Amino acid sequence: MPTHAAKLVIIGSGPGGYTAAFRAADLGVDVVLVERWPVLGGVCLNVGCIPSKALLHAARVIDDAEAMARHGVVFGRPKIDAGKLGDWKNQVVNRLTAGLEQLVKQRKVRVINGVARFEAANLLRLDSSETIAFENCIIAAGSQPMTLPGLPDDPRIVDSTGALEIDPLPKRLLVVGGGIIGLEMACVYAALGVDVSVVELMDSLMPGTDPDLLRPFQKVVGKRYESIMLSTKVTGMRATVPGIEVSFEGSNAPSTGVYDRVLVAIGRRANGDKLDVEKAGVSVDGQGIIAVNGQMRTNVPHIFAIGDLAGGPMLAHKASHEAKVAAEVVAGAKSYFDARIIPSVAYTDPEVAWVGLTELEAKENGIAYEKAQFPWAASGRALSLGRDEGFTKLLFDKKTGRVLGGAIVGSGAGDLIAEVGLAIEMGADAADISLSIHPHPTLSETIAFAAEAFEGTLTDLYMPKKR
Amino acid sequence: MANNIDIVIPDLGDFADVEVIEILVNAGDRVAREDGLITLETDKAAMDVPAPENGVIESLTAQIGDTVSSGDVIGKMTVEISDTVVIKPAIAAPPTGETTVMVAPVGHKARSRGKQTLVVPDLGDFEDVEIIEVHISPGDVLQIEDPIVTLETDKAAMDVPAVVAGRIDSVLVNTGDKVSAGSSLAIIDAVATEAVPEPAPAEAQPSVPARPTAAPAAVKQAPTATAGKSPAIDEAGFARAHASPSVRKLARELGVDLGQVTGRGLKTRILHDDIKAFVKAILTGQVAAAAGSGLPKTPSIDFSKFGQIDIQPLTRIQKIAGPRLQASWVNLPHVTQHDLADITKLEAHRQKLKEAAKKRGIRLTPLAFIMKACIAALKEYPKVNSSLADDGENLIFKKYYHLGFAADTEQGLVVPVIRDADQKNVYELATELAELSALARDGKLKAPQLQGASFTISSLGGIGGTLFTPIINAPEVAILGISRSSMQPIWTGEKFVARLMLPLSFSYDHRVIDGAYAAKFTTYLSKLLTDVESLLQATR
Repeated sequence: MPTHAAKLVIIGSGPGGYTAAFRAADLGVDVVLVERWPVLGGVCLNVGCIPSKALLHAARVIDDAEAMARHGVVFGRPKIDAGKLGDWKNQVVNRLTAGLEQLVKQRKVRVINGVARFEAANLLRLDSSETIAFENCIIAAGSQPMTLPGLPDDPRIVDSTGALEIDPLPKRLLVVGGGIIGLEMACVYAALGVDVSVVELMDSLMPGTDPDLLRPFQKVVGKRYESIMLSTKVTGMRATVPGIEVSFEGSNAPSTGVYDRVLVAIGRRANGDKLDVEKAGVSVDGQGIIAVNGQMRTNVPHIFAIGDLAGGPMLAHKASHEAKVAAEVVAGAKSYFDARIIPSVAYTDPEVAWVGLTELEAKENGIAYEKAQFPWAASGRALSLGRDEGFTKLLFDKKTGRVLGGAIVGSGAGDLIAEVGLAIEMGADAADISLSIHPHPTLSETIAFAAEAFEGTLTDLYMPKKR
Repeated sequence: MANNIDIVIPDLGDFADVEVIEILVNAGDRVAREDGLITLETDKAAMDVPAPENGVIESLTAQIGDTVSSGDVIGKMTVEISDTVVIKPAIAAPPTGETTVMVAPVGHKARSRGKQTLVVPDLGDFEDVEIIEVHISPGDVLQIEDPIVTLETDKAAMDVPAVVAGRIDSVLVNTGDKVSAGSSLAIIDAVATEAVPEPAPAEAQPSVPARPTAAPAAVKQAPTATAGKSPAIDEAGFARAHASPSVRKLARELGVDLGQVTGRGLKTRILHDDIKAFVKAILTGQVAAAAGSGLPKTPSIDFSKFGQIDIQPLTRIQKIAGPRLQASWVNLPHVTQHDLADITKLEAHRQKLKEAAKKRGIRLTPLAFIMKACIAALKEYPKVNSSLADDGENLIFKKYYHLGFAADTEQGLVVPVIRDADQKNVYELATELAELSALARDGKLKAPQLQGASFTISSLGGIGGTLFTPIINAPEVAILGISRSSMQPIWTGEKFVARLMLPLSFSYDHRVIDGAYAAKFTTYLSKLLTDVESLLQATR
């Protein structure tokens, strides 16, 4: 006899898992949520999105204060109590996870702690050797940081989780990997006064992002960081008393450098192959990714997969959207993953955000588009924030004017990009945006201005146009 | 147990003042619950008002032409027995393995004692099924599962067994009677029994369309195991549809292919109401559903049971053309008129002109001459160059003559269009035929070159065959099929002479063109092709 039984078992309580649990419970489904850690929330809440954003806010305040010094408001050098800052970050996390506990109770979701593995198509076994029989299962076990082979075992070499423990602050930090996670942490450490270097194997930061978005970003961080080594390979690390000695191979890199902390942020790997899913007949590929259909069903129809291990971008907002689809399907609804776009945001300073079609994708796939761009140097609000390096770019269907994609670089880009996402999902065209009155003076105006630039009706800049 | 009740019009949804178009029963008739009493017609559909209970109609006040609304009393009936026992049938000898149609859910739990009516369970798609044997007589004592009657559908003979044990009080049917679901068979005086509760019918698997790969950031592979159950939704078209997320959600729930829905919002945005209207149109048969809903389906067979098979996807053109051909075949009453045209003189003349034309780089084919003749015939018989208006109440005569011609390509059938063919001579027609055919073969035709035909010619003359029945390129109303010409002995009245005869197959929409008109058209066309002089005027 199984120890527990449920109509629906969800493995993992991250943004995918808890969203699925709550949605299913609200639809009257009897839910068991299995979590390996003692707290709910997964990577996002505990060691990902949320704590990093708390630290990034601190970084932002420090940078802004410093910037104002040039304009006559001088605060003096900030005194940083890394211990206290870390405590505040933990408080933010605790408040959210406590909120989750509350929601779990209100919805009468049963939470079981343990590491779950499949025993059969309708049975899970926990590390405690308890078993759970289920009718449906949603696998939401996420991903974990990838590591470099042959690294010395040393507390000074950390992954994204370790990098969130800022106390004590290092003097010199090397970030291995110029992707979003590495650059966000680089941003935090630089603001806290740490000398930051970034090393990236590819020839650009945030590989896959349109190059024009990176220019303003690189202009800002190029001055702020000790060095950015592109097309550079890390060939070895050696733990020494003064620090971690890292050897490089690349034209613009020194042969070695000594750092007192090294963050390895070279990507994340899906956990789909850590659950013995094959015992349930579920197929998983060599990257740990479980293929799903539009209803998030795996090849075994009563087992679903969502979030990082279901393929596509590893983003919390994608996981929670998929979670609702899977939960609704379990509850008998004909739901379907029909989102046309998933926005991406780097919460760096300046922020970089994009949604829908990118220019790189358009060129690769031969999609005809027209670009319209508004530089923030012409935005009163951006100037009054002391941040003129950003811009807003929209990509349109040449013929119909329909919005295909958009990207924003600058303060608050992550918040601003939501409007472009809505425009794409609603099938809006340039005129729909430009004819909607945007409040002045705001950064949101720049989206309307970019649409006006496409329409040829922009007056805030002199951009003669054929129309 | 008997009591009198009013017969009341049930909730009609949004409709009020609905017209009574048929009276199905008379006073004194015995009816079973759910039997139709009268038929109402709304602007959307006709519907029957069912009997609320088993019993005898005492009076019916509604008349044909009356208008009624929800709650109106239309008569009185005497309820005989209000407990209905639905009988679970067993299939005696299903020759084709059709077992699913006979699952009958038990609607009401049987009362343990008393007189009960035994009725015919849900027969699936069958109605008016003949009783070929009655197994019971009044006074018989039945056990559960004992057969009451045997029914014969066109698929199978089946026994209707008793689900209650008891003594037969009266038998209400005879051999040869036609019955439907709910028809009363007998009254039984039940001894203590329980109806066996049926398990709930297995819940249908939600349809599982393949996950779209269009979302740039969310490219995923659909596992093949479930992708096979996809409904006919063209995912690429769905992804392009101008519809907001909430409208897409509704479309998914209803299984609507957004690519087929015309949006009536601003800039043809698809709105919630458009989806509802689309579904209603399908339900009322105004739109042929992609899957051919309402039509009997051809059997689905796993061919790999019989030998090796190879599955190849249809080409894009086949996928587009298939539903259109089916729509024309199903919606237009096709009739094909055949004829033979004597083209001996025409062909001799064409041979004379051919060489000179070739020097000018023109391949002077018979089709160019046939087109020329068609134009003249279309002008004489303008209905052939018309279309039926959407409302079905007007005929649209076209004052232009754009000729489509069916072109066979590797990708499938396409129909390029020669515009204003009436203003072109045979050389120009031959030149354009060659150009469009080449573009068709290379898959380089542009949309305008495939639009606007007012009449279409499908020539298989270069391939062979004697006659065929082409499908009309709707909304055109006719198509001319050409087969291979051949030398035939023709009786002149005195002797047989060898003449080159061209077979014509003229399919027409009988709603627009009647048989005499069609025969006049083909006769006139044959004459034009035979009396070559007038046609040759056009070659200059």
